[in-house]
Amino acid sequence: MIAKRLGSALILLWGITVITFLLVSVVPGDPAAANLSPQAYDDPEIREAFERKWGLDQPLIVQYGTYLANILRGDLGISQQTNRPVLQDLQQYIPATFEIAIPAMIIAVVIAIGLGVYSALRKGTAADNGIRVFSLAGLSTPPFWLALLALYLFFYVLGWLPSGGRLSNDFDPPPSVTGMYTIDALLAGQFNVFADAVWHLVLPVGILALLTVSALLRFVRSAMLEVMDSDFVRSAVAKGLPRRTIVWRHLFKAGLLPILTVTGLMFASLLGGAVLVEQVISWPGLGNYAYRSALSLDLQSILGVTLFIAIVYTVINLIVDVLAGIIDPRIGHA
Amino acid sequence: MSTSFVLKSLDPSTVYEATGAMAVHAVYDTLVTFDGADVTEAQPWLAESFESSADAKTFTFTLRDDAVFADGSTLDSEDVVFSLDRLKNLKGSPSQTVEGLSFTAPDASTVVVTSEIPNPDIPTILAMPSAGIMNADAATKLGASAAEDAATADTVGNALDTESIGSGAYTISSFDPSSKIVLKANPDFWGEAPEFDRVVIQNVDVQNQELAIQKAKNAEIALDLSGPMVEGLPDTLTVSGSLDTSYQLSANRDPAVSEITANPAFSQALSLAVDRTAIAELFGADAVPAAGLVPPAFAGALPESDVQARDIDGAKQLLADAGIANPEVELVYPAITYRGVDLGTIVTRVQQDAAEAGITITLTPQPINAFLDSQGAGKLALGFTPSSLNYPVAASLVNNMAPGAGTALRTGWTVERADPAVIAAGDAVLAATTIEERSGAMEEWQVQMNAHSPFIPLANNSGIAVATADLTNTEYSPAGWIVDLPRVGTK
Repeated sequence: MIAKRLGSALILLWGITVITFLLVSVVPGDPAAANLSPQAYDDPEIREAFERKWGLDQPLIVQYGTYLANILRGDLGISQQTNRPVLQDLQQYIPATFEIAIPAMIIAVVIAIGLGVYSALRKGTAADNGIRVFSLAGLSTPPFWLALLALYLFFYVLGWLPSGGRLSNDFDPPPSVTGMYTIDALLAGQFNVFADAVWHLVLPVGILALLTVSALLRFVRSAMLEVMDSDFVRSAVAKGLPRRTIVWRHLFKAGLLPILTVTGLMFASLLGGAVLVEQVISWPGLGNYAYRSALSLDLQSILGVTLFIAIVYTVINLIVDVLAGIIDPRIGHA
Repeated sequence: MSTSFVLKSLDPSTVYEATGAMAVHAVYDTLVTFDGADVTEAQPWLAESFESSADAKTFTFTLRDDAVFADGSTLDSEDVVFSLDRLKNLKGSPSQTVEGLSFTAPDASTVVVTSEIPNPDIPTILAMPSAGIMNADAATKLGASAAEDAATADTVGNALDTESIGSGAYTISSFDPSSKIVLKANPDFWGEAPEFDRVVIQNVDVQNQELAIQKAKNAEIALDLSGPMVEGLPDTLTVSGSLDTSYQLSANRDPAVSEITANPAFSQALSLAVDRTAIAELFGADAVPAAGLVPPAFAGALPESDVQARDIDGAKQLLADAGIANPEVELVYPAITYRGVDLGTIVTRVQQDAAEAGITITLTPQPINAFLDSQGAGKLALGFTPSSLNYPVAASLVNNMAPGAGTALRTGWTVERADPAVIAAGDAVLAATTIEERSGAMEEWQVQMNAHSPFIPLANNSGIAVATADLTNTEYSPAGWIVDLPRVGTK
């Protein structure tokens, strides 16, 4: 099954390169106009040099062919905005985003499962209503507004947290091993850098976790409620099984599949969708990079980010499918 | 330093974005420079003196003999010629600033710059960060080329983002194009050592900057706060600005694009209809109504007394005399916030003002890239955009906005469609052989442009630097490097 899924994934990724390439090419906007000064753009010689340098003077099909051949060699091209290989950019910005997305997701999953199960078990009570209002409020809050509010409160008013960035200006980044400053600082034995990096993580991780909890706990609650009406749960209650056993061994296990699927998708979305939070908190991650790439019509970077996100979605879906087969063996045979 | 990054490279020959120019200015010295925020007269720097020929076509620079690069090697005229030739031949964004110039080194301490046409602004051009002088030997080892085919032969790539081959007060410690540049003091700097051993230029969202500068515990400068934001800051912070940005409408003169805007009477009527004072107020207390195309920060700007007064009756009369009845025009503008001001609020005011003169304007915001594309193709009937000089030479506007020039052609303003008086005024600017003569000619050119061109200047506002109270020499400079980092000190 895994080999078959991998084959499908490769076809899917190829399709994504075609669609993204075409979309980026037909979007109104001239990369030369976006990257050169107006005066330089008016100079035909300078404009031609720019187009020649970036291969924009070639027919679209040739540009795509070159791009695809380069990808197969592991070369994602050179970014017009950073003048560096896109792969090098991704290697720098992906760990920065992972560093906030992974803890945010872990915190969000733990809280969402706890609150979602609690809310479902107490359906219709004040606690349930309170949790639902919290969830709705979180879902309705624009991420950038929440980020600004958190920044104002925790940095400006209370002074508990830094205003942004990955490290204080007094510190240099630790020697890069994983690209995640906390881990790299520990590996290098730089504990003051580690503490500073953790301090800088609190705000973005907290914001992303809050936004994710709001969405995830609704799925947990509804998945649990759906299972609670099942015959096997009523049978378990009738048999007099302890409440804890019913909730976690029967109810939760049965509701785990949709929760797992949604969690996987939300993690993937978190990697590419934290643009506004990264912008406000000045976090140099993948979202920030994608935003700047779009503004400067940086074709190679846009394609690189899109391809990475597509790979993440594909891999996560694959993992979810495998896990689903383990949780419910019937799925593996379907 | 907190700023919203506008940065592609730290290679002086390709740098033209604000953040990059600020860092490059600290790493690479130039032949001449400016004293603080005063950009009217270039001062000696690597060149201890310079002189111009009477026709302003030849400039001779005599280099000081104690300047050394960061690796300790001596800076001489071959390095200067290599750097300026590379700037010219690399065909990057700043290359057009030295078009028509050639560079020679008759001896180790002399550089001669020759221009095809009279150009008294050459010293100003050579003060720009893009004219920074690099160690030719070190650059060549990195793959740099100054030859005529440098656009293809140069293989230096992004090596200069991390290598410091200049003679400036700082060297590059680390470079991340999306978030942070760290500079450290050059221990072998030939001049007075800078006050700070380490300078961090950090990408910080503008809302974040506003909060952070008020809570700063260390020496800090915020570079992106707009006029309205600055008004609410505590008095303990040092605020400086310079009116270096202009905002203008452009009405396309190509009848194939719009029969209405192609009529010069339409531009004149719209110019009379807009309330420039009210528009300037929308930009904050630091803004002023525009008298002409040259922002007040630069030599050649028109005095504020020349701001065109609002005259609704006059506007209506112009339209009636030209036979333009109930004109309806689409105004396209980039849907961005520029220097803290949503451009939509400005064009909405223009729309209201124009309506009083019987001009119906439909507003069409476009994403910035789509706007640049439409503007570049000359498809906009009526456009609105901010603009600032790439380098502090007002005469560069003539090169771009005179009939038949690049920007003018984007508004369909060909030589054939232009009034001869405008062309003559532009020619007078380009023929001037001294700064003073050129400034006077620029003023006359703007008077003619106000009367005949498709460009309608509306307002000017400032770039602003906000510094913590303990710092000195943090004034905002319209020279292109924003703040002169090597000169920043403490009280």
